[in-house]
Amino acid sequence: MDGRLSETDQKPRTGGAVLRAALRLLAKALLCFVILNILFALAYPMPELGRISAYNVLFPGRLRLPYGDNPQRAYNVSVLNLNAMFASQEINAGPKPAGEYRVLLIGDSSTWGWLLKPSQTLAAQINRAGLRSADGRMVRAYNLGYPIMSLAKDVMIVDHAMRYQPDLVIWLVTLESFPADKQLVHPLLQHNPDIERSLIARYGLRLNPNDPQFYTPTFLERTIVGSRRDLADLFRLQLYGVLWAATGIDQDYPDRYEPAAIDLQADTTFHGLQPPTLHEGDLALDELDAGVRAVGHVPLLIVNEPILISNGQNSRIRYDFFYPRWAYDQYRVIMEKLAQARGWNYLDLWNLLPMKEFTNSAVHYTPAGAQILAAQLLPRIGQLSRIGAP
Amino acid sequence: MTTDITSSLAQYIAAQILQQPKRKIASDAPLISSGLIDSFHLVDLSLFVEKQFGVLLDDSELNKDTFDTLAQLAQLIRERQS
Amino acid sequence: MNLTSILAFTALTVTFGVLVLLAGERIRRYKGWVMLVASVFAVYWLQSSMPLRNLDFWLPTASLGLTVIVWVTINIPGRIAAREGGTVATRDTLATLTVVVAVVLLVGLTRYTDILITPSRPPDIVSILISLIVVAALAAAAGAAFGRRTGLLSIPIFLIVALFVIFKLDALARSASVVLRTLTGQATDQASALDLRWLGFSYLAFRLIHVLRDRSTGKLKAGALSLREFVSYVVFFPSLTAGPIDRVEHFTKDARSTLTPGVDDMVEGGRRIFAGVFKKFVLADTLAIFALNATNAAQTHSVPWTWLLVYAFAFRIFFDFSGYTDIAIGLGRFFGIKLPENFDHPYLKRNLTVFWNSWHITLAQWFRTYFFNPVTRALRTRTFANGKTLSPTVIILTGQVGTMLLIGLWHGITWNFVAWGAWHAAGLFVHNLWTDYSHRRAARAEQKALNDPSSQPVSEPASPLPYRAGLMGVVNVVITFHYVALGWIWFALPNLDLSLAVFRRLVGAGG
Repeated sequence: MDGRLSETDQKPRTGGAVLRAALRLLAKALLCFVILNILFALAYPMPELGRISAYNVLFPGRLRLPYGDNPQRAYNVSVLNLNAMFASQEINAGPKPAGEYRVLLIGDSSTWGWLLKPSQTLAAQINRAGLRSADGRMVRAYNLGYPIMSLAKDVMIVDHAMRYQPDLVIWLVTLESFPADKQLVHPLLQHNPDIERSLIARYGLRLNPNDPQFYTPTFLERTIVGSRRDLADLFRLQLYGVLWAATGIDQDYPDRYEPAAIDLQADTTFHGLQPPTLHEGDLALDELDAGVRAVGHVPLLIVNEPILISNGQNSRIRYDFFYPRWAYDQYRVIMEKLAQARGWNYLDLWNLLPMKEFTNSAVHYTPAGAQILAAQLLPRIGQLSRIGAP
Repeated sequence: MTTDITSSLAQYIAAQILQQPKRKIASDAPLISSGLIDSFHLVDLSLFVEKQFGVLLDDSELNKDTFDTLAQLAQLIRERQS
Repeated sequence: MNLTSILAFTALTVTFGVLVLLAGERIRRYKGWVMLVASVFAVYWLQSSMPLRNLDFWLPTASLGLTVIVWVTINIPGRIAAREGGTVATRDTLATLTVVVAVVLLVGLTRYTDILITPSRPPDIVSILISLIVVAALAAAAGAAFGRRTGLLSIPIFLIVALFVIFKLDALARSASVVLRTLTGQATDQASALDLRWLGFSYLAFRLIHVLRDRSTGKLKAGALSLREFVSYVVFFPSLTAGPIDRVEHFTKDARSTLTPGVDDMVEGGRRIFAGVFKKFVLADTLAIFALNATNAAQTHSVPWTWLLVYAFAFRIFFDFSGYTDIAIGLGRFFGIKLPENFDHPYLKRNLTVFWNSWHITLAQWFRTYFFNPVTRALRTRTFANGKTLSPTVIILTGQVGTMLLIGLWHGITWNFVAWGAWHAAGLFVHNLWTDYSHRRAARAEQKALNDPSSQPVSEPASPLPYRAGLMGVVNVVITFHYVALGWIWFALPNLDLSLAVFRRLVGAGG
């Protein structure tokens, strides 16, 4: 019966007729696709899409913000979507538990934990101490470091992170993050112009809101087709979550790495600045003020992080690969004065670690280095937890 | 005549392959795709067909694309006999 | 095939299909030539680059050369017959040779332009001409040696298998690379088995062996295949890289058909290509991110996540492979070629025997035709001097273990593929024993029933409750799938220790 039905129902179709029908169908599909793309470009929901995350739902959140150039080995992907970055972090797991004294660590790659396993980072070492706040809450540190050396990036992160109700913010800085002209160098800042512009406006930053480094997608780039790379990156970030959950790996650990330079060039310049004087105007001190304002009433501890102090060739001219002595010495003086003038909680730990506790860079420390640093911070956390405690 | 072939095949399959002489096999029941006859017994079946009907089934033909039911196999045998 | 080549092939085939729809016969009669030219180009275009100088030109040329040589080998008496009987076949052969040589030279001439078909610049034209002469000489020699002595065709079959072993066995491939590096004057200490990645050779070899074997048994008659059909069959571009392995008589039947590929063919073809692209580039490539591999197998320590990686591999390999097959079948449809199906819901089968009727069907079928069936037939009909015959169990064991090990080795001559083959051989054998046991049990039950005069003939083994049968079906499917999925652990991981470690981890034993 089926056969007869289809026979009578099916009119003999000529090639041309079917081709026309096929073309009509194709045209309709194309039109739908174009409309969908236009709607997407008009609404441009990319930032909101970043909030959709399988982390903290299907698998545990990451212990640090996602960053990775070699996803296949690192099981980690760099994305430029701030919402997506935080959505994949454990801090986004849910409301803050009642018994938690929440500490946010803001900083560069040394805080993020370059070459360190998630269990070896500064945040992990602090958590391992099992410290309790003055009011008896459990101190819980969250690693919000991100491997870019720029204070503007730190401000962007801390400003976003304040919604997670920290009880204390520890901001680890180093001179390399200060030069005023390199604040916007990284794509994370360039690709979030709206966020950065609002920070510029709110905190009166010296950055130019129309800086040509800002990336503004054209209409075509805002369509689904134009956003395909960003969309794919968001998707890949979720997929690599499976391997993150399965292996606990979130970084490409090379078998061996080039140790930080001990023998140095006889170069006295710092980012094109010449001795003898480091001018405050060359440093993005306004970003420090912005960060302090962003943190608001929550206690803040600013730490000048440890650097490698070399004893090798030309070490009388430079401390390490990053810093000529004159510039770094003056930076410390500037910071000390500024902290005093503004009344900041400031800790200068620049020479805390011996040479052997550094790995592949003058600011990346070993697990033991992270432990030593944590030991310095723990008493200060204890002290600061008294502020605002009943 | 086809029915003779079919019943002879059915008898052989039931008795020799399935070892259930009383089992009835429908002439349109899939034999290979259902897994009722595995590849070993398929060779046996081809040897039986060769002996019984003088029809050669090539090694490349022992699959469900050539025949999957008794009816199809009987048809094939009849075609080759004539 | 990557997405670019698939899109290019799709564009080509769809254009051809649309032209056929619009112009019908006027275009359709060029079908064979379009297939031939596209396929010969594809042999070069799809070959990936290799560190050895010009190898990305020579290996595709070798594919074509081998194909021509085998054609001459199986076809010498036919050629003579054609010469006596008429000139049409000869003219077609000459035209085909001209076209093939022209394409090879055209690819070679890209050396002097900026548009390359091969990954690297082809060798100079004199070397190419010499190679063509070598192929012609080898073809003449092979034709003279085997053309009239089909009994000797096991020699070229053996040579192809030997070539296969050289390319698939790491140690031999490395030695071959050393030899080739010496010839090209490249550093031999860099030699690696990875230097030799002969695109499509596994499939090509199987098509050639199939044809040679059928010729030697007389199933295939000399002169049955034109050179154009034969080259198109062996290197047909949709199925060049990942099968399916069609049978030559089936392929040529479709290729010769004067039926114009219709709208239905194109709609179905388009659907298959679309489905294939989705399976391969969306599903498989997504799963590939966290599918079991040597690296993550060593890094994962928790039980549930290890299971997830194993499942991901099982579905990844299915979607990857069946996606490619869909694309191949879809492309073929536009030329009116119905390539055989390679997959038939393999993960929804109730036992391993049926699984192997539905997974990589054309490969399993090939091994049944050229190994399992003849071996079983020979052992089954063998009677020893004392009048004894081999027991079915011994024959089944021999046939199945042999077949599965060979299928394993076809994927690569390494211990892990042997283990994978053995895993499936063991599974099939156990399933066989179980089937035998249940048949005997059923027979006993029948015998009992015979003594009971009220009994009726049974058509199906009686099942007490229908839902119980359904439930058993689901359980069987789940068990079969898991047996196959666990088997992939051997397949996915390069060494047995690692595979064993994963097995231990899956049951929560050992890190």
